[in-house]
Formats: sequence, structure tokens, C-alpha cells
Amino acid sequence: MNKKFAIGIAAVVMVTVVVIMGSTYYSTLMQMQEYKPRMSSAPVDLTNGSPVLGSPDAPITIIEFGDYQCEMCYHWFHTTRDDVINTYVDSGKANLVFLDLPFLGRDSHPAAQATYCADDQGKYWEYHTTLYTFQEGVDDGWASKDRLVAFAFNLEMDMDEFNDCMDTSKHASRVNANYDQAVKQGAQATPSFIIVSSDGTTKKISGAQPYSVFSRTLEAML
Amino acid sequence: MNNLKLVFSSYSYVILGIVVFVSMFIPISLLSEFIFVEPYLVLHVTEYSAFGFTLVIVVSIISAIVIPMNVYRIKRLQKGTSKIGGSMIGTIIGASAGICGCGPIGFSIISIFGTVAGTTTAFLTEYEIPIRLGSIGLLCIVYYTTSRSISTECKVG
Repeated sequence: MNKKFAIGIAAVVMVTVVVIMGSTYYSTLMQMQEYKPRMSSAPVDLTNGSPVLGSPDAPITIIEFGDYQCEMCYHWFHTTRDDVINTYVDSGKANLVFLDLPFLGRDSHPAAQATYCADDQGKYWEYHTTLYTFQEGVDDGWASKDRLVAFAFNLEMDMDEFNDCMDTSKHASRVNANYDQAVKQGAQATPSFIIVSSDGTTKKISGAQPYSVFSRTLEAML
Repeated sequence: MNNLKLVFSSYSYVILGIVVFVSMFIPISLLSEFIFVEPYLVLHVTEYSAFGFTLVIVVSIISAIVIPMNVYRIKRLQKGTSKIGGSMIGTIIGASAGICGCGPIGFSIISIFGTVAGTTTAFLTEYEIPIRLGSIGLLCIVYYTTSRSISTECKVG
């Protein structure tokens, strides 16, 4: 009787874990598929996002939702992004906008704010690159206030202006707006991408997917 | 080796092994972002993730061997369930390691449980390799003890 009971408990635990994992993944898939109608019912508001990387007139906009502490964002940045930029952004076929989805840890939000403080001095993308170059573990101090200031110093920014920007949390509401926009668009992972063509067609890519997926998607939309 | 032949000579245990392997390998690969299904089905293993992917395969294979062996041991030899508990723990630890906080499950967990969940998923991600190695070690111990138990009871060899 005890053996059967123990087997039953083990089986229940196993099944519960598999069901939770499966159902979470399934619901995410369903949400992605619900989103799949090519016309976005909720246009993406990019007013609080990053400056546009590439030509503002490009026929396709790649919107990336990311967290500066996200390891997968780091990997996407260092493996796939360069190819996308070289092939599609530099050629004027697409442009890229980054929207913050800071959820991983307490340093995620200040790191996102710091990028907009850098943007005030025209160095958004340099700062963005710096963060994804020096990323370490979540909340292990690599994106502490001191480090964020040090990154700005290394980029030869006006430190009084940067410190004032950070101390007053000047761009906190902008980052919050991006977070809300990301959630509104159904982003539930970082990095997530929404690719929008000039006729309003949209496609979603979730996760640090390889260049081949981006290439196939973009070519189909061009 | 004789024990493996003994257990897997029955098709039902082979099928059970395949089911365990698939139900381990596919979900872990999806959660660890080795396999993507949208917008295209693609396997994505990079240089940095190759070792982690190898460990996923190893955990899945050992689980697919150890769990049927324990089921055999319990059903045929009417033995206790302690070892299957060990294999379940090893399997679950191996499965949970490397579940990225960046992914949908991490996002859901962190959104609901906040900072503590963030720290936990960060730990699981950062120590993915040692955790998976530990889980493989645990599964190997369970394999050894289960195999010895079957040998003793069935007087194999």
C-alpha cells in the first residue's frame, strides 16, 4: 500500500511539473498565434522607444523588446544582431527600434533609464552597446548605479548632466511606458521582436532566434 | 549491461523509455530556447550553448534508462520506491536547470512572484551547467544502485 502511495506521489509530482511546463508553453504559443493575424489590431507606440537605428524611411521596422540583464538578449546581440544590421539596416531595407521590457531584476530599470540619459547626449546606441558588452549576472552589481555612471564616463559624456538625469529618474516614466507597451503587445519574453512592414503587416519572433529566421521573415515581408 | 537487456527486452519498457526521453528532451529544449517553433521550426545550438545542449541530451537519455528500470524493479521485483524517487528528483533538477528567466516561463514566474523568483531563475540560468552535471551524477548513482538491485534480485550474471 505504501509503495503504491509513494509511486502515486512521484507520478503526481512528475505529471504536475510536466503539465505546468506544458500548459505555460502552450498558452504562450496560443497567444503568439492569436497575435498572428498579420494586421496588428494595436499599433506599436514607438514614441518612448529608442532612437531609430537606420533609415527612418525604411520599409520595415524591427521592434526589439529587451532587458539589459537578459542573457538571451546578450546572446542575440552578439550572434544575430550584427548580421541583421549589416544586411537589412545598413542597406536601408529595415530599421531597428528598441523598447525596454525591464523585468529580470532591480538593476534592469535603472539600466534602461541610463540609456535614455545617454540619449539626451546623443549616445543612446553607444550606451546600449556598452551595456550588452559588459553584461554579467542578474543584479550582481554589473549594472549598479556606480557602474552605470562609469559606463557614461567611458563614453565621454557630460557627467553632471548624466548624474542629474539619473538622480532625478528623469526617464523612469519613459521606461515604464515602454514596459506597458511591450506587455500590451503581448511580449512575454526577452528578446521579443515585432516586425512591421510599411503596409502594416506584422510578424512576431519570440526568443533569441538565429539569423536564418530573421532573414526568412524579412525577405517574405519585403 | 545484462540488466539493460533484461529490462528493455520488453517492448513496453522500450516505449516507456522513448516516452520519457521525448517528454524530457522536447520541453527542456523549448524552454532553454534550443528549439523554436514560431514562426518556423528551427533547432538553434550555438557555440556557447553546445555543451548545455549536450547535457540536456545526456539527462534525457539517462532518465529514459533509469525510470523504466525503476518501474521494472518495482513492478517485477516488488521493491521499494526510494530509487524511483531519486530518479524523479534527478530528472526534475535536470529539467529545471537552465530555464531562462528571459523566457515566457521566467517572465510569468517573475511577474507573479517578484524579486525572489527573479533571483531563483537567475540562479538556475547562471549555474545551468553545474546543476545539470549534478543531476546527471544523481541519475548515475540511481542507475548504479538500481542495476545492482536488479542483479542481486534476479541473480543476473
